[in-house]
Amino acid sequence: MNRSPATTPVVVACCRTAIGRSHPQHGLFRHVRGDALAAAVIKGVVERSGVDPATIEDVVLGATQQRGELGGNVARTAALLSGLPFGVAGTTINRLCGSSLQALAQACHAIAAGAENVQIVGGVEHMQHLPMDSAIDIHPQVFARSSRGMLSMGMTAEHLAAAHGISRRKQEAYALDSHRKAVQAEYNGLFEDEIVPILGHNAVGAVMEALRDQSIRSDTSPEAMAQLEPVFLPKIGTITAATSAPLSDGAAALVVMSLAEAQRQELVPLVRIVATAVVGVPPAAMGTGPVIAVRKLLARSGHDLADMDCIELNEAFAAQAVYCIEELRLHPERVNVRGGSLAIGHPLGASGARIATTLIHTLCAGTARLGLATMCIGLGQGIAVLFAREDA
Amino acid sequence: MPALGNKHSTLATEWLKDGICILSFLIPEHSQNVITQQFLNELSAALAEIKVGPQPSGLVLMSRRAGSFFAGADLLRLEQLRQASSSEIVRACAAGRNLFGQLSDQPWPTVAVIDGVCLGGGLELALGCDLRIATTAAQTVLGFPEVKLGLLPGWGGTVRSARLIGPGPAVELIASGENIDGLAAERLGLVDACVPPEQALDSAQRLIAMQTVTRGYLQRRRQQAAAIDLDPQEQDFLEATSAAVILGRTGGHYPAPPLILATILKGAAVTAEQAGPIEGHAFATLVRSEIAGQLLRVFRIGERNRRDIGIGTPDGRADDRPHPKAAPAVAHEVVRPAVIGAGIMGAGIAASHLRAGFAVTLIDVEPQALAKSVAEILDEAAWDRATKRTDPARALHLAGALQAATQMAAISNCDLVIESVLERSDVKRQVLASIEETVGARAVIATNTSTNPIGKLADSLSDPSRFCGMHFFNPVRRMTLVEIIYGPATSNATIATAVAHAKRLGKCPIVVRDSPGFLVNRLLMPYLHESVEMLREGLEPKRIDRIARAFGMPMGPLELYDMIGLDTAFYAGVVLNDAYGDRIAASPVIPALVRSGRLGRKSGAGFYHYNSEPGPLGGRRSRSERPDSGVAAIIEPYAMPARPSSDETIANRLFLPIVLEAILVLEEGIVRDGRDIDLAVIHAIGFPAFRGGVLAWANAIGATEVLRRLEPLADLGVRMHPPQRLLELARRDEPFTV
Repeated sequence: MNRSPATTPVVVACCRTAIGRSHPQHGLFRHVRGDALAAAVIKGVVERSGVDPATIEDVVLGATQQRGELGGNVARTAALLSGLPFGVAGTTINRLCGSSLQALAQACHAIAAGAENVQIVGGVEHMQHLPMDSAIDIHPQVFARSSRGMLSMGMTAEHLAAAHGISRRKQEAYALDSHRKAVQAEYNGLFEDEIVPILGHNAVGAVMEALRDQSIRSDTSPEAMAQLEPVFLPKIGTITAATSAPLSDGAAALVVMSLAEAQRQELVPLVRIVATAVVGVPPAAMGTGPVIAVRKLLARSGHDLADMDCIELNEAFAAQAVYCIEELRLHPERVNVRGGSLAIGHPLGASGARIATTLIHTLCAGTARLGLATMCIGLGQGIAVLFAREDA
Repeated sequence: MPALGNKHSTLATEWLKDGICILSFLIPEHSQNVITQQFLNELSAALAEIKVGPQPSGLVLMSRRAGSFFAGADLLRLEQLRQASSSEIVRACAAGRNLFGQLSDQPWPTVAVIDGVCLGGGLELALGCDLRIATTAAQTVLGFPEVKLGLLPGWGGTVRSARLIGPGPAVELIASGENIDGLAAERLGLVDACVPPEQALDSAQRLIAMQTVTRGYLQRRRQQAAAIDLDPQEQDFLEATSAAVILGRTGGHYPAPPLILATILKGAAVTAEQAGPIEGHAFATLVRSEIAGQLLRVFRIGERNRRDIGIGTPDGRADDRPHPKAAPAVAHEVVRPAVIGAGIMGAGIAASHLRAGFAVTLIDVEPQALAKSVAEILDEAAWDRATKRTDPARALHLAGALQAATQMAAISNCDLVIESVLERSDVKRQVLASIEETVGARAVIATNTSTNPIGKLADSLSDPSRFCGMHFFNPVRRMTLVEIIYGPATSNATIATAVAHAKRLGKCPIVVRDSPGFLVNRLLMPYLHESVEMLREGLEPKRIDRIARAFGMPMGPLELYDMIGLDTAFYAGVVLNDAYGDRIAASPVIPALVRSGRLGRKSGAGFYHYNSEPGPLGGRRSRSERPDSGVAAIIEPYAMPARPSSDETIANRLFLPIVLEAILVLEEGIVRDGRDIDLAVIHAIGFPAFRGGVLAWANAIGATEVLRRLEPLADLGVRMHPPQRLLELARRDEPFTV
């Protein structure tokens, strides 16, 4: 799609926190507030981009639990907390797991429409301080068309695995590979550029610089995984803690603006956002969302799946990731090359910005040109965003 | 009331000024409205008369009895249906379904006003109307309890509810059998509004007026008639997840829940007209099943227990007095109860009093133990089952009803004192004597004990006639059974008072004559003991427990040992062994485990190893339970030769000793009726209700077959030898109990 530089959205910087485990005793960020995580990435991304803060018009953050420390429009409070000028507006949005990819998408739509231009987008989640299943009261008549079981993402994934014959062993092999790739990436220092160092706490409570994702494991093995009990369907299930994304705390943010504005401020665009798409699917078929969203996205942009050099597919569950890869016939070697959320963690509202950040860093590190980020979303949705290297 | 009033005995008609016709019902010969054949006939006639008369603007269906819409169908009818042929049952279902359907086939809208209990057939009747209004009154509950009797709603309940609230919520409502209040029913869409009782009729009139304009009820009739438009992926998911949930909950032992799921899904795919007979056939299958028969019987013996005042017989026969001194006994209503001893049991008993609305006094000589216990009691009593946490406002309120003291003087004006101190007879005797010194002459004194003979403890009192045992089970909040134990001197009035009081606590009291182990432990111990004997023969603990679960027990005997605590079980075993010798032997394995510090769950290890670590997903804690290799080494010195051990043999060895002991208990007159035994084992040891209790299970097998199964086990010793009474039952081909 050809747009004028004034309506072409580009990303000029992106970063994230390390992703902590949501654990009351061991969690990296158990003593750090969620809004503080958000402020840290806003501050970090502004500094990295070199953007003139006075030109920033809006902060768009995704968060699924908008209450407590993430309540009262955390995008605005985090903007204030991070020292941005009062003139920067802020809005918090919720598309559950797709929230911060949605934040990116709608900021780009504003740019394309000639509305708000320079924006910070991102997401934050603190699943230990604000558990995902508390303080939610869904109208029971919603289940008239579906069923209560669809509220359990694990159950939908179990069903997907059963319906498509995705065995426990296959899921575990996939999860193991996710850890292996993440361990490798970390060993090679590939996450160093994208992680903003902030203070967290170690196991005994001392402060430490949070530089490494807490859930990536180099010590796991097929044997260890095989020992675990199924989490969602006791005894008969196939999904365990090892094949579900870990509960996580973290934040990520990007600076977007029009290509023209980047040129005006003499900033180097990293990627251009080519197209976005969202879809709804039956709530029980939550895990299939990316398949439908990606097809819609490609139809919209006119690209072919084979053109995608690099794909970030959010791993809510190994079963769901395996399903999407098989259904879309993705090249496994192009998917989540630095490991996925099974290893890195899945701080719901932050994950979209996290995978976008990782994808952009991956694209910029090599010769790849086109990148795709896609996620499944609770209650039956999918989201996909297409990126292109600006210089390639 | 004018018009039809005098032609029907259960129904009356009244016309309001705005042309609305009120059809109100009251079933005179029952304490709660139940749907009788007469009511069905009269409803049919009344509807026919309304159709041919002047047209009403709308019809309101309501009860004339406060707090009771319809509690369900008359169970007597159900009993009769069980004898009918499948096609007769299907026809009876169709008749009821079609009759209720007539409530929404006329030009005017109909509204059911549900103020009070609306269950089973009552809810099906209400679902026949176009619209429903429930009230906020505390008595107003709606639900389908049929599943608890092994059945499903047979008058269109599955068809109409699935169309109204959706197949998923309908499966949940019907397969769980749980009741919901008016507000929950409104949220679910089962009723259209929930209002204060005094606004109900007015609201019904308003609804009719609105619907007459919007014609919304006609839209709903189309929805009620059509197939349900459910996304195929959602349908697959609903089927798979519901089946998994049901299997987890029932262990595969109860046929009704899976059939409810299948009936609703099959019925969803077709029109209501076609779905009706699907439901009818499913009902016929279930109502004629053996399991429904057992569950109906368990329901009846539960009802019988509610009528039982603890002396004489609730069946109206005078020939089985519990004991010779059957003077007319008047239970006195307990107003000021007290509990002595703030241990686990004392705290549990005190908390159950608070939950039941009593102000209770709690005494413990240890101020620190008392303070700790008070906090735990309030936590438990103010526990909100819905939110799964303690309600602080409720805890504060209940704190005013709990008086804790270290001095016995605080109970001076109490009228029931439940002593629940250490299980040591010297301590108990001292405390009991001190209670008697403190309380008034009319107060009843009870002891919570599992091993102390009531007759012996009674010696410590100057008036033993007011003394009895009240044996609660741990955890008190969950365990509904209470053994009311009478000694030689216990008066009928004391028994009746204890029984009535236990019922007010929401418990199920069984009157037991004083004897070692009373009833439950005496039946339980042979079962527990046998599981350990089989370990000594080299069987795996997991296998034994799995077979017990497959039989329908909520947990296996070795898991149960660990939960009870091996030290506690050891002591109870010794008492029974002393009394009954080799028939209830005490295994040397238990003291050996206790000596090695394995006390069960509370010490982290027993037959299994327990640990409580943070779960793999972070915050939540998971409990892992695995066989403990150390156990084998402890058992090794006591090893016995292996025996042939098919799953069937293992099940027989576990459960037949309970039957043998139950026969003796009954013969010795420890309880008044075999049905008490069945009720007790279901409530206290989790004996599967679908088998009807231990004697009903034996009935199903037959005495001759019980003997045949015992034969190859005879060499195990006297514990497997049939008592004389069993031989007689087999010879005369008589049942173990009614």
